[in-house]
Amino acid sequence: MPKVLSAVACNLDANILAACLPLMEESRIEAIEWSFDALYKVKEVPAWFQELLTAFSDENRLIGHGVFFSLFSGKWLPEQENWLKHLSQTANAFQFDHITEHFGFMTGKDFHHGAPLNIPYTATTLNIGRDRLKRIYEACKRPVGLENLAFSYSLDEVKRHGAFLEQLLEPVNGFIILDLHNLYCQLRNFDVTFEEMIALYPLDRVREIHISGGSWEDSVATPSRTIRRDTHDDAVPAEVFQLLEMTIPRCPQLKYVVMEQLGNGLETAESKQYFYNDFLRMQEIIQQHSDQTASPVTDHFLPLLSFSTDTIVEDMTLYQQQLELSAIFESAASYDEAIQALSASSLANSDWRIEQWEPHMIETAIKISQKWMK
Amino acid sequence: MKLSKSLISAILIGIAIQTTLVSCGKDEQPKPQEKPKQTQALDGCPACGMG
Repeated sequence: MPKVLSAVACNLDANILAACLPLMEESRIEAIEWSFDALYKVKEVPAWFQELLTAFSDENRLIGHGVFFSLFSGKWLPEQENWLKHLSQTANAFQFDHITEHFGFMTGKDFHHGAPLNIPYTATTLNIGRDRLKRIYEACKRPVGLENLAFSYSLDEVKRHGAFLEQLLEPVNGFIILDLHNLYCQLRNFDVTFEEMIALYPLDRVREIHISGGSWEDSVATPSRTIRRDTHDDAVPAEVFQLLEMTIPRCPQLKYVVMEQLGNGLETAESKQYFYNDFLRMQEIIQQHSDQTASPVTDHFLPLLSFSTDTIVEDMTLYQQQLELSAIFESAASYDEAIQALSASSLANSDWRIEQWEPHMIETAIKISQKWMK
Repeated sequence: MKLSKSLISAILIGIAIQTTLVSCGKDEQPKPQEKPKQTQALDGCPACGMG
């Protein structure tokens, strides 16, 4: 297997950078992933952070990870147009090895007040997603990838996710970020086995793997359950390292494994030490499973055929449903209230299949939406 | 990947001075060059996962 690079999600965050510093001093970090659209409130980026990005960019070891594009919004929004302009400028300033975004649409009144939620897997959403991925490619001219989602409403969605990702990526010949903590959430929240799930993903399209930590939360709607949430605020659990060991050998095009943790989980010396230890463990697993003397896989997740983006794909019915769903989740005082509102909404008996949604996941969607609406 | 000592030093000084930096918080952040008044407790980024 070609060389796989050990990377960290490294943003302009004092705690993250402080946690990364010992690893940088020991030259252990082989690439960094930067969320280039997350600096929207920083008026001046420090010169030293730009220098850090440039150092990795010059070695073609900088990868871009978008957060706020809202890939599946039914309506094409001015914020998306601005996001693409920003991406284009940033891709001119830095040499990204590839660019990725998240699956889902953002709830909330604007792009920075919401959470990414799942969408129905239909021809409409497929066409919108394909259109948006083409536009991302046009803006950056780099390989484009999408990350698997941690959150799903139903087992049916969980099982269809990998195939839908493959269909979405086909026109841009894109790749998948397989987030193993997201996968772990799915395994635990829907009682599915790893073997059953991994067989449903096109692993020859996996160019990047993420690992991270998360948290558990009790469910009121289903008291027998605890919900695994992808909060990225804790050390990487042993189960996710096991998933990494099992997954790497199955991904022939793998180039990066990225460890992600939020700055708010890295405030103490102890948490920074866990971060350091987790990175070393991740690197050891990577080195066991890939040929460190070989070159990394070369780019080939680039479009094979030319395409047009002259016509913007939109669906106003979907957009209205997304607004309706966001409003329900953001205002519901309880699970019961959300269920009542959903049953009376335009999402009832539709492609959204809300009748199949698991109570504990509706409850989680409410919490996620309300967490990020501020 | 090997980084220069001068860059490592610059990062060290930068994060020591700019302790309020967060990658995607929800509250207004100071300009990086401003001296922080107090440490902010901010949530992280939503789409890093589904939190």
